[in-house]
Amino acid sequence: MRAVADSDWGCPTPLEDIAGEIAIVGVGESAHTRASGRSPKEIAAEAVERALADAGLPPSAIDGLMYAPFMGGQFDAAAFHAYFGTSHDLWVSERGGGMVWAGTAPYDAALAIRAGQARYVLNVFSVAWATQRAEMVGGPGQVHAEDLVKQNIEVPFGWFPQPVYFATIARRHMHEFGTTAAQLGAIAVACRRHATLTPAAVMHDRPLTLADYLASPPLVDPFRKEDCCLISDGGGAYVMTSVARARDLRQPLIEVAGVGLGNSYTGTYWSQQGAFTSTPQVFAAPGAFAMAGLTPADVDVLTLYDPFTIVALMQIEDMGFCRKGEGGAFVEGTALHFDGGVLPYNTHGGMLSHAYVLGIAHVVETVRQVRGEAAAQVSDAEVGVYGGYTGPQASTLILRRR
Amino acid sequence: MRQDFPLPDVTWEPAREFWAGASRSEVLIPRCTACGAYAWYPVARCRRCGEARFAWTRMSGRGRLFSWVVVHRAFLPAFAAKVPFVAALVALDEEPAVRLATNLVDCVPEALDFDMPVRAVFRPLRFPGVEREVMAPMFVPAEG
Ligand SMILES: [Zn+2]
Repeated sequence: MRAVADSDWGCPTPLEDIAGEIAIVGVGESAHTRASGRSPKEIAAEAVERALADAGLPPSAIDGLMYAPFMGGQFDAAAFHAYFGTSHDLWVSERGGGMVWAGTAPYDAALAIRAGQARYVLNVFSVAWATQRAEMVGGPGQVHAEDLVKQNIEVPFGWFPQPVYFATIARRHMHEFGTTAAQLGAIAVACRRHATLTPAAVMHDRPLTLADYLASPPLVDPFRKEDCCLISDGGGAYVMTSVARARDLRQPLIEVAGVGLGNSYTGTYWSQQGAFTSTPQVFAAPGAFAMAGLTPADVDVLTLYDPFTIVALMQIEDMGFCRKGEGGAFVEGTALHFDGGVLPYNTHGGMLSHAYVLGIAHVVETVRQVRGEAAAQVSDAEVGVYGGYTGPQASTLILRRR
Repeated sequence: MRQDFPLPDVTWEPAREFWAGASRSEVLIPRCTACGAYAWYPVARCRRCGEARFAWTRMSGRGRLFSWVVVHRAFLPAFAAKVPFVAALVALDEEPAVRLATNLVDCVPEALDFDMPVRAVFRPLRFPGVEREVMAPMFVPAEG
């Protein structure tokens, strides 16, 4: 056992207090599928249409659009107008989408709404990575393969791509803290159980027991394939507005209570990260909880960006749901299950078992949970938290039913 | 992508000296000429003091096995003939914060252990369909 020594490896991004200013008033998802042959824009349009219907708003009411231009083929302003046949002015932000931005988009939307730049802001994200599966033609590994540093000093040794990075982190976590395969397996099993209760989940018909997990062959030892997220086609969207306007809409009032953002100085060069077995949630979560006036003990349901079991485990520790290094023991058994677990977690199945839409569906699920309308509903959930992650950054988004 | 991917481009300036050193069986790491901090991965300016000049410095080639994985699936077709292989991070003795991505060779994966002493050996990186090869620092278990 060794304490995490290097504390100078990242920092929080200071954020203004936006607690209670805005609400999420509509959520929608596309179908989540294996290779669909659809483009990201087509997929996104389906999610957006459903989010608007959920909010009870016409397309003409949307005057703000957040998306992630660095991901190919996203649903931008031109796509919005082309799909809905509209032409009005849109406030556009490129700080939207999934991953970390699924958690921080409400912050940027709150500032825009406060400044009068927009009234109803849509955040949207979609991928067609199952369709683009050949890994060097798009897909999750491409950005890493194209990074010249990685290409010239990591990839030649086969230290690539993400399953290799995070299995290396998992093994070190096992060494430092005694984390076991069965503990990582408990995370995969909880996600799969939730997916089997969620008709829209890609793995809804594929149950997984801990014995199944442990019997599964190594992919990148210590990872099995069940430690790794799916590759699927899909998308999601959500609509935000001021709390005052939200009171006039059809859905229960789900306010944005807190947002936090943390950074790692070494970015996606995980090999050099000072605190190798930590995530920038160390720097993101405290600010979000302080803004919300809540603590991790107040959280009824947690969704985490979960490309790998270990990334969920580290975030659970780093957000303060247990002490650093105690995550393994914390997640054992049914601790993360929706019905009676101490911390109901990824109640739709997460990226491991629901869909690989990079966190946007996690926020949709978190909203549904605190509304009380999820498939695997946590009883009387009032406070829901999403943790987003990219490696360089992590975000914490706290939602609360009012 | 380059025709010879995933071989390194040994002419790529930020790591050119690293690969030139490897061709002479040396592990070279850039070191800040002002404050002496090792700068790995290569950066434009020293993270500690901001200096832009670095001296490529020969390391002993000794280190500790920081973490490792046994890769069973070839994520790139070029690795299909290599699996299973051990991909690892080695923390260098002179500055354990410098971790090299590398391969552990001539070893039994089951016998590997955290922080065990390792030493550099120099082996060619070869990939099917690519004529060129590049000498690279890999590591083997060493006596304590
Ligand atoms: Zn310096």
